[in-house]
Amino acid sequence: MNEHLPAVLFLLPLFAAIAMPVVCLKHREWSRPISLTVLSAMVVVSVLNLNSVIRYGEVRYAFSGWAPPLGIEWVADGLASVVLVALSVLGLLALVFAGPTAPRDLGGRVVHFYVLILLLIAALTGIAFAGDLFNLFVFLEVAAIASYGLVGVAGGKALFAAFRYLLLGTLGASLYLLGVSYFYAASGTLNMADMAEQLPHLLTSKAVVGGLLFMFIGLGIKMALVPFHVWLPDAYTHAPESISPILAALVTKVALLGWIRIIYWVLGAKVIIYDIPVLLLVGVLGTLAAVIGAVLALMARNIKTMFAYGGISHIGIILIGVTQGNKTGFAGGVFYLLNDAVMQGALFFLAGALVFQYGVRTVQDLGQIGKRVPWLTGALIVIALGMVGLPPTGGFFGKWYIILGALEAHNYVAVAAVLLSTLLTLAYFVKLFEAMFRQRPPRSDILQSELPLSCKLSLGVTTASIVMLGLFSDPIVQWILNQALPPTL
Amino acid sequence: MVDAVLALFQRPNFLTFVVIFLWGFYIMLTRYNLVKKLVGMYLVQTSVLFFLVSISGKKGATVPVLLNTTDPVRAADYVNPLPHVLTLTAIVVGVATLGVALALCAAIYRQYGTLDEEEVLKKLQ
Repeated sequence: MNEHLPAVLFLLPLFAAIAMPVVCLKHREWSRPISLTVLSAMVVVSVLNLNSVIRYGEVRYAFSGWAPPLGIEWVADGLASVVLVALSVLGLLALVFAGPTAPRDLGGRVVHFYVLILLLIAALTGIAFAGDLFNLFVFLEVAAIASYGLVGVAGGKALFAAFRYLLLGTLGASLYLLGVSYFYAASGTLNMADMAEQLPHLLTSKAVVGGLLFMFIGLGIKMALVPFHVWLPDAYTHAPESISPILAALVTKVALLGWIRIIYWVLGAKVIIYDIPVLLLVGVLGTLAAVIGAVLALMARNIKTMFAYGGISHIGIILIGVTQGNKTGFAGGVFYLLNDAVMQGALFFLAGALVFQYGVRTVQDLGQIGKRVPWLTGALIVIALGMVGLPPTGGFFGKWYIILGALEAHNYVAVAAVLLSTLLTLAYFVKLFEAMFRQRPPRSDILQSELPLSCKLSLGVTTASIVMLGLFSDPIVQWILNQALPPTL
Repeated sequence: MVDAVLALFQRPNFLTFVVIFLWGFYIMLTRYNLVKKLVGMYLVQTSVLFFLVSISGKKGATVPVLLNTTDPVRAADYVNPLPHVLTLTAIVVGVATLGVALALCAAIYRQYGTLDEEEVLKKLQ
């Protein structure tokens, strides 16, 4: 039974997404209970799957019994399983948050929203588990199509943002597919494990070098790495409040996970092409992303735009961690990836609550609610601690291990970039707090309006998780070091 | 240099791929009409598929359907079927993307009354 858990995890949301338009044709109000049930089941199954991976080691699942490399293979190893737990929990919380917010954002399109969310979660599961480069492409595209739909589903300003996202995302997918076909032409296989055996003989082949470049640009667009990030801020700012948390928390992170798979599981960590270490090259891009993202966040006026740029800078920090080429850095990067998923979720829950309940969109308007909503301010303080990286939170320990890894690799530029990005993060949160505590005439409608319970629940759980991840950082990082490292490190 | 150019003309399929890809990319960058941008996007997608099919070809090989069932199978007699299957999947993905894109275009037209990027941006301000 245990070896089927990855397939179950994927099929649960997929079947629900397919069945929902039929079931909910007449009973629109059923869509929410159904998706909540499916996502709760996913949380349980993903925890069971993680447990079985911890106990019995990784699961290699061959679909329909066709043995790899001919068949399609899924790999449920430590890394994928732990990301899956985060994905299901955050997906569930996003659905809980969407309960009261989605009907107002979307009106009659609530069913569309739930279908697309379930499809997105199924596709992200596929990306995390895929052990085959073409399979990864298909799931990247399914996730992307679901995200375009989600960004645009409410209409209004989001339509144009969704269209731009679609143009760039499709260009990225095409480039990724081009890279995959180069790899296939050079090695004659698509299975990651099989290709890892073939590639060491082929590293001087121009097809592999070109393919790697195209694949990397393609995935760079998907994970909003800095030169290719232009689609993200608009899409996340204009997406409805009920939708931006799940996009911000999961989509770019899972694309990054796919990229980690290719660089470590397919290419091998120490790969050097034409005297250039690939890891170093990507590390430089990560360094740029960490700093530039934070600078752009500092300049943003809209709260959601600011948080979106913050996410871009954190993608850079994760990349710095995983590209140091040593165990400490990799573990720190993966731990920070989990943290960042939780923090981005929490930030967009908060921004969503501000817009939904109080109509506050820009940093300046924050003064209107200020001290009158103490628990919201409290949540913002905890999230800020996590984003900046102060000790009791998970953000601190993630950055700590990343810096240790960079020091171990004698990469002082990367250390400086992480510290600079931390300072800039501090600066933009100071800007937020300054606006929040400045005396402003209060709005009369703030006092009596209380946020719905489910919004409080999602925000509370994610905020608490930021602290919990910090308190339990040591066992988690030790576990990543023991069970989730790539074989080539 | 001359060798490289000559080698390029030995492979007309790859040359075609490069031309179609760059053409599509150029259209995506330079046109303001959203539907024209989509045409460029579709050219880019199709060019990659064209490349993928091209790499399956072999000299003197036939379609990957067994000529007879008694002789042992010789791989050199048939073109590689896998890229064709991948292309089929990628076509489906591309069509789905194009469908979503056209739906977005229609919604944009209904909301702003135009498909020109500049005018939509002006109305967004």
